Amino acid sequence: MKKVLVIDDNPTIVELIKYAVNLQSAYEVIVAYDGEEGLKSVYAENPDCVIIDVKMPRMDGYKLVRCLRGDTRTANIPLIILSAMTREEDQMTGLLSGVDEYLTKPFKPGALNAAIERVLLLTPADRQRRMDYLLQTHAERE
Amino acid sequence: MVYELQRLRTLHILLVDDDPDAYIRIQQAIGSDFHLYHAQSLFQARQHLIEYVPDIVICEVKLGKESGLELCRFIRNTPIIHHLPIMLLTSLTTLQDKIAGFDAGADDYVVKPYDARHLIARIRLLTRMKNLELQND
Repeated sequence: MKKVLVIDDNPTIVELIKYAVNLQSAYEVIVAYDGEEGLKSVYAENPDCVIIDVKMPRMDGYKLVRCLRGDTRTANIPLIILSAMTREEDQMTGLLSGVDEYLTKPFKPGALNAAIERVLLLTPADRQRRMDYLLQTHAERE
Repeated sequence: MVYELQRLRTLHILLVDDDPDAYIRIQQAIGSDFHLYHAQSLFQARQHLIEYVPDIVICEVKLGKESGLELCRFIRNTPIIHHLPIMLLTSLTTLQDKIAGFDAGADDYVVKPYDARHLIARIRLLTRMKNLELQND
């Protein structure tokens, strides 16, 4: 069974995510309630996918994503940000940090499960292509 | 004017690493698309930052008896440069090291050894992300 790590400081949101993800009974769900605890859990649990909130105590979601992408041991773990921050700039910051999907709250269970399925299929080459695309599109804007 | 136009196209990087070979390795990794300056101590780094503000600081944590975390705190506490993107590029790999790095003010933490293409992408993505943050502040 695939293991999904949820990192969010709001216990109610965590329960909602657990409920949504368990609808398909396809994943084992583990939880961490702040960025630092989440970082420790990634190394301890070696999850198949991580769902990350942005605004959290001790380490925010963007930094957590960059920290994971900066280490070859964790650089290719599928990462999803699930945040109440809905501005385009927030989403762009998430993508530039290296997240695979940026979803906003409130969320639909089906959309979250579909995102998990998508990111589980990504390869390191897919991530490199996306990074190249982001660099190219930003260069054109500048 | 010509110089400023040139600067628009080329990122200026301050590399802080006490290893004399670090400059060569990074230069080989990033190629000629960047202007790379090398400081081998905190003193040299601070001197450089006073005279010239780079686009990004890439810093090793272990600097002999000194620590790159001190430079992170110096940058974050100095108004004219507090916004600078800081990437820690280091051989320190423990969770405590990473948490301490972000606590000190680093924006990114890359563990050595690094893949050259990956490093270039992260440098560019980080500078763009910080520009985005500045525009939105």
